[in-house]
Amino acid sequence: MNRLEPLRKVVDDALDKMDGVIALRKTSGLVAPYLFRDKEELDELTISPKYPTPAILRLIQTAHPEAKLGIVCRGCEERGLIEMAKRNQIDLERIRVIGLACTAEEAEECRCAKPYPSVLIDTHVGVRTEPVVNKLTEELRQKDMAERLEFWRSQFDKCIKCYGCRNACPQCFCPECTLENDLWVDAGKVPPPFPTFYLIRAMHTAGKCVGCRECELACPAHIPLTTLYTLIREEVGEMFGYEPGVDLEAQPPLVLPMEVES
Amino acid sequence: MYEPKIVAYACTYCSYPGADLAGTSRIKYSPNVNIIRVLCSGRVSPELILRTFREGADGVLVLGCHFGDCHFINGNHRTAKRIPVLKGILEFSGIEPERLRLEWVSASEGERFAHLVDEFTETIRQLPSIKQVIR
Amino acid sequence: MVSVGQHENIEILSYSEVEEVSGFVGNFKVRVRKKARYVDEELCTGCGLCQEKCPAKGISSEFEAGMGTRKAIYIPFPQAVPRVPVIDTENCIWFQRGRCGACQKLCPRGAVDFEQEDEIVELEVGTIIVATGFDLFDCSRTTQYGYGRCDNVLDSMQFERLAHASGPTGGRIVLKDGREPEAVAILHCIGSRDENYNRYCSRVCCMYSLKLAHLIKDATKAQVYQFYIDMRAFGKGYEEFYERLQKEGVVFIRGKAAEVVPHDGRLLVKAEDANLGRLVQIPVDMVVLSAGLEPRHDAAEVAHIFGLSRSADGFFLEKHPKLAPVETASDGVFIAGTCQGPKDIPDTVAQAGAAAVVALAMMDKGKVTLEPFIAQVDEERCSGCGECVLACPYKAIELVEGKAQVSETLCKGCGTCVGHCLPKAITLPHFTDEQLVAEMQGALMELEVA
Repeated sequence: MNRLEPLRKVVDDALDKMDGVIALRKTSGLVAPYLFRDKEELDELTISPKYPTPAILRLIQTAHPEAKLGIVCRGCEERGLIEMAKRNQIDLERIRVIGLACTAEEAEECRCAKPYPSVLIDTHVGVRTEPVVNKLTEELRQKDMAERLEFWRSQFDKCIKCYGCRNACPQCFCPECTLENDLWVDAGKVPPPFPTFYLIRAMHTAGKCVGCRECELACPAHIPLTTLYTLIREEVGEMFGYEPGVDLEAQPPLVLPMEVES
Repeated sequence: MYEPKIVAYACTYCSYPGADLAGTSRIKYSPNVNIIRVLCSGRVSPELILRTFREGADGVLVLGCHFGDCHFINGNHRTAKRIPVLKGILEFSGIEPERLRLEWVSASEGERFAHLVDEFTETIRQLPSIKQVIR
Repeated sequence: MVSVGQHENIEILSYSEVEEVSGFVGNFKVRVRKKARYVDEELCTGCGLCQEKCPAKGISSEFEAGMGTRKAIYIPFPQAVPRVPVIDTENCIWFQRGRCGACQKLCPRGAVDFEQEDEIVELEVGTIIVATGFDLFDCSRTTQYGYGRCDNVLDSMQFERLAHASGPTGGRIVLKDGREPEAVAILHCIGSRDENYNRYCSRVCCMYSLKLAHLIKDATKAQVYQFYIDMRAFGKGYEEFYERLQKEGVVFIRGKAAEVVPHDGRLLVKAEDANLGRLVQIPVDMVVLSAGLEPRHDAAEVAHIFGLSRSADGFFLEKHPKLAPVETASDGVFIAGTCQGPKDIPDTVAQAGAAAVVALAMMDKGKVTLEPFIAQVDEERCSGCGECVLACPYKAIELVEGKAQVSETLCKGCGTCVGHCLPKAITLPHFTDEQLVAEMQGALMELEVA
């Protein structure tokens, strides 16, 4: 179904109240995130492919804390915003979230468990579709230890240390990154050390990753990163009952004490 | 069979004195373990553990105080959460999660420490050398 | 104890419990619950009239170790300081059935107050000394000796009361039926040196057992048989006392008693006489069990409140067994007496003096030297995510203008925040990542053996 027209209308309305709306723009056949300010620009509004817009919202908000901004968000992007808000990276008071549902094809491609936003939004474009079962994580669970090691080693051998995964991730907002510290990762060596580089990143996603797949989409070597991070997310969910990106009030589990009767 | 190399991170107020007690009591235990003291087991980060494997440790032991006994109230709670998640990550990546073990040892458990070290060394000895993983 | 009660710098909070301790050395806040005793301490003169007239009698007296009785309103023992009674509401007719109130009617000072409530007292102190004592081993656990089943099997505390001039029999050592015993057996190491109960030696029992034997010899014509494993007479004059008792005709049998059974109206003690290498069965009229010392039943909670560790035997753990016997892992909290481990009166007094002096020296200095383990934030690396704020067990970190800030007084240097911080913006001096990695690399280094 056509989502672009309804979206254009919603963004048009939003521009009356907001200083700008972050969405995707197509010029000269290329798509990139854009801060729409004038309604004339909306001719170039587009929907896909998706981009890590929450990270961009953070950058703009940091530079202009008083600005009232709108942002078009898919389900995963909204989840990203929630986790970022918990960590004081964005100010939810000054933003309006315009919800965009993903199509069934888009959900299938992302193996998405919730392909629509529902928590922060006040408007919604598109029809909500069913969650998709993640077959890739299942495949990985079926492998034995030796197969898994072989799989990941061959995948990570392709890594060129571009930091694309880190740059695209909405949850990677640290001013200086551990992965660029030569105490943990030798400078000037490619591929970066196994397993430290990859598993440090993986550990950092625990309790934060919302499965938006931007890391995977950014990776020039097509390493199936989200599969690993999804497995971790499921593990954290089982251990602590914590689902990232769902509840603004839920605090990150790894830093809290356990509820234990002494 | 090779001789595994194991690094143990022990907390100052419970597990390190526990290990010390094993020593003063002249209890024999596997010499494969090297103990590094930290103030609280909460200090042990996943980065440190992964680097320890990278440097050639076949096994890593993280030792802290029993629940309720942590000198720093509940620093060990965070350790208790962090380590299982890291073990899960190792397992998903094809690295044997048994290489990383978290145990609570109190200041009076000298014998238990020695027993634990022997048991862990044996577990690690059955696994291939870490050099095959980190290449 | 009376001079303690009268000292202007000492405030006794009796019938009270510490509920919570917070803060740190030099600045502890202690919350104490003064339980309601239903008698106003300010008004009471300790005349004892209430106790005399109380109709609720026959209640087993804790102080008499069950050998004697008390009333529902009672002063725990004659030398109690403060000399103010307490009402045992479980047995008081007023509290149970709403009748009587004799004590209130008769008290010449009107000190009895049935409406009295628990009072919470908040204390601010610089140092704390924990001297909470021990519990006597419960001999009913060692069922083979007939304690609680057979008449005339007593534990040491009960015998003390029996032999005491102010005790239930006025100091007459008698059997349950009032006769004087012709033979008494004293069994050492009940609950001590025993892998079924406590592995450790309770240190005081050999000497107190000798004392009890001496009391028996002094007060009666009974034959005394003493069953021991080793005679631990380690102190000043102790060995000489042991020799004296041998001369007084006490029969010492080296062999822990195996069993006590009723026999022909008497009690039969079965043991192996290890010196002679044969089994013996000795008929006696009374058996005294030299019960060992154990940590108090609430030691775990008390340890938790004061931040103390416990050793394997359950007693509070000292900082160092030789070099710091009264200090603990918690700065400013000291331990003294049997709560730290079994010991006799001379040693307890010495340790109490030690704890007092160490506490005093600390307070006299006026300043506390802190360990340099205080977390530090590199603001350039900090993203203000606030996860360290949640990770800190002491709530020592807060976000100030979007960056983490560590309180130097609250931070104890555990490093939990450091272990968690994703960009490593927070570090712990003397336990930095560089230092730990260097130690670890050294530990894993391949050494060339010449």
